Amino acid sequence: MTTVLPAPVAVPALQRVRARWAWGLGAVAVLAWSLVGAKLLSGNVVNPAGSAQFGRFASAALSPALDRPFLGVLASSVLITVAYAALGAALAVALGALGAVAVARTTWGRRRLGWALSRGVLAVPRGLHEAVWGLLLVNLLGLDPWVGVLAIGIPYGAVTAKVFADLVDEVPRGGQEALLATGVGRLPAALYGLLPPASGGLLAYSFYRLECAIRSAVVLGLIGAGGLGYQLSLSFSALRWDEVWSAVYALSALCVLAVVAGRAVRRRLAAPRSSADRLRRDPALTAAVLVTLAGVAWSWWYLAVSPATLVSDRTGQQLAYVLRAAWPPDTDGPFLREVGTAAVDTVQMSVIAIALATVGAVLLAGVAASPAGRVSLPRRLAGIAVRLALLVLRAVPPPVWALVLLFVLLPGVLPGALALGVYTLGVLGRLAAEATEELDPRPRDALAALGARPVAGWLYGVLPAATGPVLAFALYRWEVAIRDTVLVGLLGAGGLGALLASRLARFDWGAVTTVLVALVLLTVAVDLVSARARAALR
Amino acid sequence: MEVRFGGAAALTGIDLTVAAGERVAVIGPSGAGKSTLLALANGSVAPTAGTVQVLGAVPAALRGRALRQLRSRVGTVHQHLELVGQLRVVHNVNAGRLSSWSAGRAAWSLLRPQGVPEVLDALGAVGLADRVFERTDRLSGGQRQRVAVARLLVQRPELVLADEPASALDPVLTDRVLELLAGLVTEGGGGMVASLHDPALALRHCTRVVGLVAGRVVLDAPASALTLADLAGVYGARR
Repeated sequence: MTTVLPAPVAVPALQRVRARWAWGLGAVAVLAWSLVGAKLLSGNVVNPAGSAQFGRFASAALSPALDRPFLGVLASSVLITVAYAALGAALAVALGALGAVAVARTTWGRRRLGWALSRGVLAVPRGLHEAVWGLLLVNLLGLDPWVGVLAIGIPYGAVTAKVFADLVDEVPRGGQEALLATGVGRLPAALYGLLPPASGGLLAYSFYRLECAIRSAVVLGLIGAGGLGYQLSLSFSALRWDEVWSAVYALSALCVLAVVAGRAVRRRLAAPRSSADRLRRDPALTAAVLVTLAGVAWSWWYLAVSPATLVSDRTGQQLAYVLRAAWPPDTDGPFLREVGTAAVDTVQMSVIAIALATVGAVLLAGVAASPAGRVSLPRRLAGIAVRLALLVLRAVPPPVWALVLLFVLLPGVLPGALALGVYTLGVLGRLAAEATEELDPRPRDALAALGARPVAGWLYGVLPAATGPVLAFALYRWEVAIRDTVLVGLLGAGGLGALLASRLARFDWGAVTTVLVALVLLTVAVDLVSARARAALR
Repeated sequence: MEVRFGGAAALTGIDLTVAAGERVAVIGPSGAGKSTLLALANGSVAPTAGTVQVLGAVPAALRGRALRQLRSRVGTVHQHLELVGQLRVVHNVNAGRLSSWSAGRAAWSLLRPQGVPEVLDALGAVGLADRVFERTDRLSGGQRQRVAVARLLVQRPELVLADEPASALDPVLTDRVLELLAGLVTEGGGGMVASLHDPALALRHCTRVVGLVAGRVVLDAPASALTLADLAGVYGARR
């Protein structure tokens, strides 16, 4: 039997997506400009004199300090760090859940102005790094545990609000619209049509925030809040590399714990072991919720946090004094030029860092992803090794990487950029690996079943599907990296961070305001560019 | 030969041989083991007991290049779930010959599509030549199913495996697709195994019909000796 199909239609020409090509070429140009700015292509960046010290640091990795008294000190540092992280993350998730409702596109609908304004308000707490919040809050509250908790909770709360809102906004609208079409109210429609598809992402992000909070608690320790970071800086300045590595390993172990717990909960949520005929709660999930709540309560007790400090007279007076001194901002010409130069350095530092991290993450994601089926032993060992290496990269705070790199590199943009880059690689590598794991395996399996070699299977089955999420993560991390440059800047790597540190040390509050405004504006600009780029990716 | 997933037996006591030139329709109710049978034949599932021979080789015993070479001679259409939505149609069709392309050519083709004339021939055969540079996730389910068939046409396999190849197509296109698959079998000198949910299609396009119920063969006869009533019996014979 024969069938007649319509005659072949004219074949269309291949059309490139212009917007994407423009973004791609623009990114390459900005990267080239940043590399030139970092004097990577010209001039001297290497400091050969420091290689001996670097060698001693590296070789101590295999012989960390394990003596009893130091381990005791380390253990109590770990508890302090965990308590700060738990309280800070809990505050952040609470603030984030409330804030997400206020900044979600779903809430605002077509009222674009209101939506943009709400996002703008969020940019201020988000634009300042935890360490900056810490330094500012110390001036208000003195040495109080609230400094650490708020320094984590405020900026994290703002970031969490934004990400929660984006996660809900990115859920396909079909389910919710079907409910709205049948006359269901907006709140129930969101509860049934938007939250269930987003819930896995929301929970995963909350646990990811807890993991980040541990690192931030360490960073706050570096500037004096106590805990692991404080211990790390003491050992570092005493050149006790064995102790530094012990602290790094303790920190990595903490992060592993957070990752493992987060994953276990996420898996349980994705595939609940429920019986279809009876409503029953999952005991493991119930336990996770109870343990988290108990941990937060314990942290409150352990740090002896007292709400009274926040509303005391002394705090009020100090706040009034700082606010009076901080206004008007310093706007004289030479200083503004200095701020401009520092801002350029900051941008270049973040661009190099993100480029390094993205390339590394793409190359490592395939190996770092836990394979679905059974695989050979060498492949599994390689996966474990890469995952552990990524963990250490992101467990060590960027300022510590910067200090290490300053052994072998001259101060400037490059050591800061590399320090941020290796740290971001640790984060992005994990995110890229998870994005790879979450891909639909069927296209890849089909390519393997028709005999495609592994490289081709990766190019056709994984790369196209993973590019979008990985680049979106990279753009998100660029927004974070801009803030993190403040951190490495505190240590002479230049940029707005160095400027801020010098003005804070002089209590020059007018200049501090100017730098803070510049920082917030810069992060807003990066946010906008990143959002437009992500829109072009979709 | 049998296959178990965990404790549940998917297929038990199966002993089938498909000769060259044969077109076998596998029919049966949902969950009878049709997809598992096809997965065995392309080597993506290994039997728990017994052996599977494909084109004279045992896939479970092969590794690396030898396995890839065997797999390149077996083409599978799995509805349209094997397509990469983010790629343009041309790349999804070209994926059919990735086994014969070097990695460099595969990568270059993503930037500058290679072998477009053959892709257009294949897409023309399924009536989709005008969508060659469209992103695959912009196509409807039926169109994607035809892209999956075009991938097979470019692959030119000897053994054709098809899992509900026409589930989302109208009657005219369904006949067309099954004729194209039959043409591949004639050209490649191999055979075809297709799971079909429409008994009439099985009789019209296949030379032999195998009925599966709960993982067991309950019917195996030449299509010419069967009537629609015989096939309806397979669906009626529930556990």
